[in-house]
Amino acid sequence: MRYDVVTGPIDPRELESAVSHPGAGAICTFSGIVRDNSRGQSVTHLDYEAYAEMAVPQMRKIGDEIKQRWPGARVAMSHRTGHLEIGEVSVVVCVSAPHREEAFAACKWGIDTLKESVPIWKKEHAADGTYWIEGDAAKPVGG
Amino acid sequence: MAVAIAVRVRYFARLRELAGVEVEVTHVSIGATLADAYGAAQSKHPALPPRESVRGVINQEFADWSATVIDGDEVAFIPPVSGGA
Repeated sequence: MRYDVVTGPIDPRELESAVSHPGAGAICTFSGIVRDNSRGQSVTHLDYEAYAEMAVPQMRKIGDEIKQRWPGARVAMSHRTGHLEIGEVSVVVCVSAPHREEAFAACKWGIDTLKESVPIWKKEHAADGTYWIEGDAAKPVGG
Repeated sequence: MAVAIAVRVRYFARLRELAGVEVEVTHVSIGATLADAYGAAQSKHPALPPRESVRGVINQEFADWSATVIDGDEVAFIPPVSGGA
């Protein structure tokens, strides 16, 4: 199992290798990609910040819960921090399971839960200014 | 007079910028709660937002505001998270 916060590019294939095994008939990989727009504004780039000493244990908790809810699942999660350009991979959640239904369900639950409980924040550099994103809210920097 | 304990306080993201500091040692009374520690932080850094928009963490675990802090704890105050894409 692999859970980490990294400063360089994430290769989703490496996480797939980490969860692959002969009993896994399905691997579902979610890759989150930096997109060029948000809230109707164009976005130039993002900065991510993490409380890494807490983020990694929180990811491990999510992985442990996935393994309880979907027996036979294996999980890997990686989140990147620092400056990310449009099109770069910011997060990968990868789940292997005996069959596709569990792999899809567990992977979706994994990324949804990561977005709620893992202490990582994005700062959005947009056409109309720079914002910290807090949950669903955007707070202007310096405001 | 109550004897003080020392906790290491960390701030992240917008709270780090509003506090103007990443990490500091704060002294609170024995028996102080996480809410008391945030109160002490707000006294030092008046720009910090109301507690309602903040989550408290003790030793890398989310904690209730009523939780007691003890000497040597690492406390963190964090805004709502926004990882992912």
